[in-house]
Amino acid sequence: MDKLAERLRDDAARIEVDVSDELDRRIEASLRAQTRQAPAPQRPPARPPLFWWASTITGIAAAVAVIAIVNLQVEQQPEPAVPVDLLATTPRIELNAEAAMLTAPLHDELDRLQSDLRKAEEKVRRDIGL
Amino acid sequence: MIAAAKAGSVEAFTDLVGGYRTRLLRFLLTRCASFADAEDALQDTLINAFRYLHSYDPRWRFSTWLYRIAIRNAGKLHRHDVVDLTAELGDLRDEESDPLQQCIADSESENLWVSARRLLNDEVYAAMWLRYTEDMSVADISNTLDRSVSWTKVNLMRGRRALENELGGAGNGNEAYG
Repeated sequence: MDKLAERLRDDAARIEVDVSDELDRRIEASLRAQTRQAPAPQRPPARPPLFWWASTITGIAAAVAVIAIVNLQVEQQPEPAVPVDLLATTPRIELNAEAAMLTAPLHDELDRLQSDLRKAEEKVRRDIGL
Repeated sequence: MIAAAKAGSVEAFTDLVGGYRTRLLRFLLTRCASFADAEDALQDTLINAFRYLHSYDPRWRFSTWLYRIAIRNAGKLHRHDVVDLTAELGDLRDEESDPLQQCIADSESENLWVSARRLLNDEVYAAMWLRYTEDMSVADISNTLDRSVSWTKVNLMRGRRALENELGGAGNGNEAYG
């Protein structure tokens, strides 16, 4: 031990104090008052590790059961088909041709084009189920 | 004994703290403004220790835990507050009214703990006290003061240097901590 440490220890010992009997009595009375007011709180006994495992497994099982029940209750029902009148909703294409100004080959060409257009229109309707 | 005290036995608790009462009172005296305050702080410390004994962790020394409570209680009766107040009133406090001076046996040289109280702040003073009168390890002191180990090491060294300077550089100042 070095000189300073020794001196500090000695000087601490030179501080003369004593716990008086009166203080002793006061402290004991206060301690007894504490026990009367409220018993020293006890730490609840630790639960065994098995308890935590059981709780975890129970929790997982409950979650799985809830998910399964929810999934079983929801049936996969197809959406009901709502009939749509496409003829009413689709605007009709007006084909205005001024025949007087057309020459014969062009007129034939127009007939063919209109025929193709009609066929295409029918095909579209067929495809969409009307 | 601790188990019996934890169960609420006042007798067991009194036996348990019997060896610490005087040491705690001596420590508290150095931090309180009057002997009566130190006695009150000791009483509060022991009552709180009894009340919260269930929270005591046996991994730590019992004295570490007890001193921690004592320091908190002494903080409520902070000597600096009193010193500041008396300074404002014209330094009414003199050596004769200092409880520490009253309890020190007459000697040619000044008690080093009186010098320490003048030179060091409360925390460094407490660290020095725990180290040199209670032989606590640096880890225990850190835990008691709720400070880091490095803080404790540095401040123990600073405390030593301050006291060595006061003594006129008598010490070597080379004690290693930790």
